[in-house]
Amino acid sequence: MSAVAFRGIAKRYGVAEALFPLDLEIASGEFISFLGPSGSGKSTLLNICAGYIEPTAGALFVAGRDVTAAPPRRRNIGMVFQNYALFQHLDVFENVAYGLRVRRTARAELAQRVKDALQAVRLDGFGGRSIRSLSGGQQQRVALARAMAIEPDILLMDEPLGALDKQLRKEVQIEIRRMHVARPRTTLYVTHDQEEALVMSDRIAVLRGGRLVQLGTARELYSRPVDSFVARFLGESNLIVGRVAELGDGRAMLSAQGLAAPIEGYAAQGLRMAEAACALIRPEHVRLVAGGQPARIVERLFLGEIAALRLVLPSGAELWSRLFSSDAPAGDEIEIGWDRERVSILPETS
Amino acid sequence: MTPAGAWTKAFAALLAAAIVIPVLAVAPLAFSEQSFLQLPPQDWSVRWWGVFFGDASWIRALLTSLEVAALSCLLSVTTGTSAALGLLRLGPRMRALATGLFLGPMVAPVIVLAVGLYALARSLGLVGSTIGLVLAHTMLALPYVVLNVGVSVAGLDPRLALAASGLGASPWRVFRTVTLPSILPGMLGGGIFAFVTSFDEVVLAVFLAGPSVKTLPVRIWEEVRVEYTPVVAVAATIMIILAVIGSAMGRLVTRRTA
Repeated sequence: MSAVAFRGIAKRYGVAEALFPLDLEIASGEFISFLGPSGSGKSTLLNICAGYIEPTAGALFVAGRDVTAAPPRRRNIGMVFQNYALFQHLDVFENVAYGLRVRRTARAELAQRVKDALQAVRLDGFGGRSIRSLSGGQQQRVALARAMAIEPDILLMDEPLGALDKQLRKEVQIEIRRMHVARPRTTLYVTHDQEEALVMSDRIAVLRGGRLVQLGTARELYSRPVDSFVARFLGESNLIVGRVAELGDGRAMLSAQGLAAPIEGYAAQGLRMAEAACALIRPEHVRLVAGGQPARIVERLFLGEIAALRLVLPSGAELWSRLFSSDAPAGDEIEIGWDRERVSILPETS
Repeated sequence: MTPAGAWTKAFAALLAAAIVIPVLAVAPLAFSEQSFLQLPPQDWSVRWWGVFFGDASWIRALLTSLEVAALSCLLSVTTGTSAALGLLRLGPRMRALATGLFLGPMVAPVIVLAVGLYALARSLGLVGSTIGLVLAHTMLALPYVVLNVGVSVAGLDPRLALAASGLGASPWRVFRTVTLPSILPGMLGGGIFAFVTSFDEVVLAVFLAGPSVKTLPVRIWEEVRVEYTPVVAVAATIMIILAVIGSAMGRLVTRRTA
């Protein structure tokens, strides 16, 4: 039985579709990220799960129970907001204790559980502090402790690191990951930051324009994206635009102007002969190959033990390359190639 | 900001004096020995304070004023808070319309309100009753509460209520433990304004007061028309003291939220 199941969940505002009918099952203890640009429907999905937004259609099951019509207070969820949403008039202890007081937890147990929750976010001894006296990172950890203290069936996080600066972001990100590994809880995590999603998630759901574009592990999404949108969204990517020249048996050939030879690669779903498509070649897979595709080095960035090279093909198309041990300076003409097993031919979605 | 020059300071002092002196002038009058009002008093005494507190009708007027002010404060704070919270849920156009309606009593000429309310109260048999005056003052005080609480409500993060309900709180509990503490300063500030508004209101009180509900301002007005003794100054001084305490409390409360 899955911990969370969306069955045909959809949301429409007037005539605008915020979310098209969506089916998704999330396993117990799984950490799943909803990744997408703003307006992709990722927050809508999370708010439907929390009960803050009522879906237009479909049903939502949590731990096998249909909660579609249940108000938020009857769902036993832990929600973490981007702006923390802590109660300023209460101290840290009372913030964390809020959900337990609602549940009429006995005094001794309440004190113990608040203590445990604060310990889990490494804020032992902060109970008497006022919210205002805490840094942004500490406030978000209090919010995390507050959400976890009630032992929720599912933990929901809506861009929890969005309001933090880069340094704190890293700190809280690691904290969340550490807590999840120590004690896996079913977690739904909304972000527009691909790195966050890659680092934290068991699976990632990429959304765009209210639709689920792809669902898979970070590795699957990175190496076999379903289209150029996902490829652009996750990691760095070289996308060479052309037309499908050959198609069959899970493989495809892409021909493009200025290429010495068509690019062969794994064929994604939805390709059609002679139609526009693009080849995905990750920068780390571009190598020096004698007699390969001619290219010119335009720029060279020193990144320590590796270098990043900006290359331009005779067609004018640009390509980034990584892991390049060559000392070739900018302006040099070189010949490059790539492993065809690493290349994907994807439908162009721009 | 550049430091104020000597002329600016002098002008400011003059302006402040022009505002404050007429108000403060009444205080020495209250300590006059004479039987008529004259500035400055020639001899000092507290005999008129004795007269004031020895006269049951003055005490009754003071108590009536306090009672009416307290009741209309209570009533306007409860209704005004509900209104401010309700306004937040309306669409932008309806909200603008309804806000204008709620603030109406603040801009409408009091004498117009008085005439209208008098006619209404007469047909309802509320002239000369405490409840009638309390209702009238509540209407007058309501805009201050709606404005004050409105500011608090506008600063309220709607996600706080969402967070509380997600943690299992019922709507009433959310209101009691999250919404109320956040808007309490606005309610207190509005309440003090409401109290002071009612306490020194004279026009509606003259129209609606019968012999049984004579407030302090009404009693002063009547006294001035009949005899012009310093006991009026005593009553006025008491009103000033209460008003100063009230607005000081109001400032304190609103300062703390800012």
